[in-house]
Amino acid sequence: MNRSAKTKFKKLIASILSAIFIFSLAGCSESSKAPQGGSSAKPVSSVNKDAEIALGGYRDLAPGEKDGYYCSSILYVWEPLVRQDDNGSPTPCLAESWEMSKDGKEWTFHLKKGVQFHDGQPFNADAVVANFDRMKLGIKKSSFYPLDINTFYPGLKAYSKVDDYTFKLTFNNPAPTQIYNMVNFGSPMYSPKCFDKEGNFSGIAQGTGPFKIIENVKDQYVVLSRNDNYYGTKAKAKTIRVKVIPDADTRFSALKAGEIMGVIDLNAIPVSLAVKLKDSPDFAVTTCKSTMIRFLTVNGTKFPFNDVRMRQAVSLALKRDSIVGDLYGGFGTPTTNILNYSTPFYKEIPVEENLEKAKKLAKEVLGDKRRELVFLINSGEVTQKAEAELIGSWLSEIGLDVKIQSLEMNTLKEQLKAGKYDIARMQQGLSNSEPFTIFSRFMLPSGDQNKNYSLGYHNANVDKLMEEASAALDMARRKEIYNQLQQISSEEFPVIPLFNDMTLMAYSKKLTGYQARSYGIDLPDIAWKD
Amino acid sequence: MLRYSLQKILSLIPVLAGISLIAFLLGVVSPGDPAEIALSRGGMSEATREQVSAMRREMGLDLPLPVQYARWLGNALKGDLGKSFSTGEPVGQALARRLPVTLRLAAYAMLLTCFFGILFGILSAAYKDRTVDLCIRGAASVILSLPGFWLAILMILIFAENLRWLPTSGVGGAKSMLMPAVTLSVATMATAARLTRSALLTEMGKQYCLAANARGIGKYRLVVRNALPNAIVPVVTLLGNYFGGILGGSVIAETIFALPGIGSYAVQAIYMRDYPALQGYVLITGLIYVIITLVIDILSLVLNPKIRLGGGA
Repeated sequence: MNRSAKTKFKKLIASILSAIFIFSLAGCSESSKAPQGGSSAKPVSSVNKDAEIALGGYRDLAPGEKDGYYCSSILYVWEPLVRQDDNGSPTPCLAESWEMSKDGKEWTFHLKKGVQFHDGQPFNADAVVANFDRMKLGIKKSSFYPLDINTFYPGLKAYSKVDDYTFKLTFNNPAPTQIYNMVNFGSPMYSPKCFDKEGNFSGIAQGTGPFKIIENVKDQYVVLSRNDNYYGTKAKAKTIRVKVIPDADTRFSALKAGEIMGVIDLNAIPVSLAVKLKDSPDFAVTTCKSTMIRFLTVNGTKFPFNDVRMRQAVSLALKRDSIVGDLYGGFGTPTTNILNYSTPFYKEIPVEENLEKAKKLAKEVLGDKRRELVFLINSGEVTQKAEAELIGSWLSEIGLDVKIQSLEMNTLKEQLKAGKYDIARMQQGLSNSEPFTIFSRFMLPSGDQNKNYSLGYHNANVDKLMEEASAALDMARRKEIYNQLQQISSEEFPVIPLFNDMTLMAYSKKLTGYQARSYGIDLPDIAWKD
Repeated sequence: MLRYSLQKILSLIPVLAGISLIAFLLGVVSPGDPAEIALSRGGMSEATREQVSAMRREMGLDLPLPVQYARWLGNALKGDLGKSFSTGEPVGQALARRLPVTLRLAAYAMLLTCFFGILFGILSAAYKDRTVDLCIRGAASVILSLPGFWLAILMILIFAENLRWLPTSGVGGAKSMLMPAVTLSVATMATAARLTRSALLTEMGKQYCLAANARGIGKYRLVVRNALPNAIVPVVTLLGNYFGGILGGSVIAETIFALPGIGSYAVQAIYMRDYPALQGYVLITGLIYVIITLVIDILSLVLNPKIRLGGGA
């Protein structure tokens, strides 16, 4: 290469390197503007209590106009007539009190006075009627729960205003547990002015909650501002930004990097990551009972699980403490009860673990032969593989050799419905604390989950008890029946429960008042620490 | 060229109808009921049989399959891509909101790939078998074997969590696009560098280059002025296809870096068996792909006028 060529080549390289440098600078200069998340991305001064607090969740908590609720209840933008306390019992919110008629067919609600929606409209019986009119238009899809009047108000005959602050529901049949059906997502109230003709939202939802939405960028973030006209105790934080960060590892990194101050919603933080924060000086983990229960479904329509002794043997062979302790960091409670522990109807039933008894029962069913089984797991949940291997090792001791198959959730459900499986790992959420639905779905021959999971479960006594419960107006009698049903479920195992889940949330210790609830956190209580 | 472009655009109609039909059929044969999935939310809520039936009716899933498809196609021709099964939002609206995010990501990734891919290719060819070349080739082999998601997580750990130079996620300024763009571009960057190198070396081995070299033309002029324009055509084709590929292949980067683009929309649609969303996505990406191919063809012609478009005489 001659000198001039060399010089030109050097010039070319120099130009390229300069371009790289300029490109990098361009990147830095643009990015030096506050990234999305604004002030929250930088460490916020502990004295500025009005600084924005950024939180992260795995999904969009404010899906917007086409969602039946516009946003999740955990944002505290809208409020229901009736809320649910930590024990799963109905508690007043926009309805101050209520009473049921003697025949159980009429429910009268006395509404809170002096409440205004965010748009200034008054909350009264007319507003409640308008919200029921909207629900009557049909099922509204939602990222949370389908808003369906027939689910939350089964057998509703009529709804009417009695006076400005009294509202009445009339049912075709006695509905003694109606109040449980309509908690939280069952009775959301919005300003009648924010609906269009189809019952969708015509703009940002206008609720009565301690926060109002001031900005909603779909799939990215929602900004909440304190409602200074709130009728109750006002929120402590002035502004909260909730970001959508779908990936759990990224959420964890964002928390550690100080971009977000806490994680909320379901699946806020996986156990494997929460364990890492347990002893951290900067972060903390808060827990609460979850409405989710994890269990094994067994194909009761064919051998060997059509024999109750085999189901009992499996339950006895399981070391639930080991599953919860070793795989879920202790965040869970072993159970053999089909009913989740977050309802006031839950009965504590001791968990029995007895390998010798399990072997004996299995031998009665299998004889001296071993049986190969197909164990289906959800490929979307990484922990299920380890869990299935652990369970497989225990089941091998009672003569069952499991072959694990990892499937996509929808494919797995199809297999279950078609009865092409032996064991599968599933989970179920409790939508409200009245357990009738759960019992009927799993324990009645007509129950959809009984059919969907090919459980093949039938007990004439259960049918009789359920019939009695549906007509029982006396709550004490109803509770007694539910106790019996729980006892039967933990003896006959329509499904084999593993453990009750725990809601896990993680947050920076720069915040105060961060307390996990069965769904979400007490958002109005969070604030910067002094 | 005009005739060729028109032909290409007209060919779009059967192509788009075909791919949307395939997408529809694939959706239908996949296990899972869209109505049940939309209502159950992965076991979080409890859809009853009656709810599922009502939802199936509302979604039009109770109609015969040909009617379902014909209805969708008819509406699509009028510009209505239907409503998402899972969110109820018009598909066109969702795609319009998400497409700019993916295009922006693709543009950044493309910029990085073009710049560094071609640069390293030139350097590698110019310094064949010398230290620079060996380093670039070694690095290219390593980069090609790195999984994108691993690189993404590693970068977040280093640049966001520890050094705090870059944000972990979200849509913001150029800084927020840097890590996702690098995740998307590294593998193609290495391929582009390799391809540029081999194409350049092939050109430089041809008689016109040898003659030019023998006549004492400088290396800069030989490589950049003479060999590169001829060698760049396959690289441009690669990069064009790559740009189209990003539209469908950006899902990992979009999910990890919380970028609401069309890749993550499509994956969500597959998971939810959201046929209208999926068909809308297929239609848009198909359209963009064909446009990109057309642009590449024209660009190749500009770069090398000897190329004949459409295989004609």
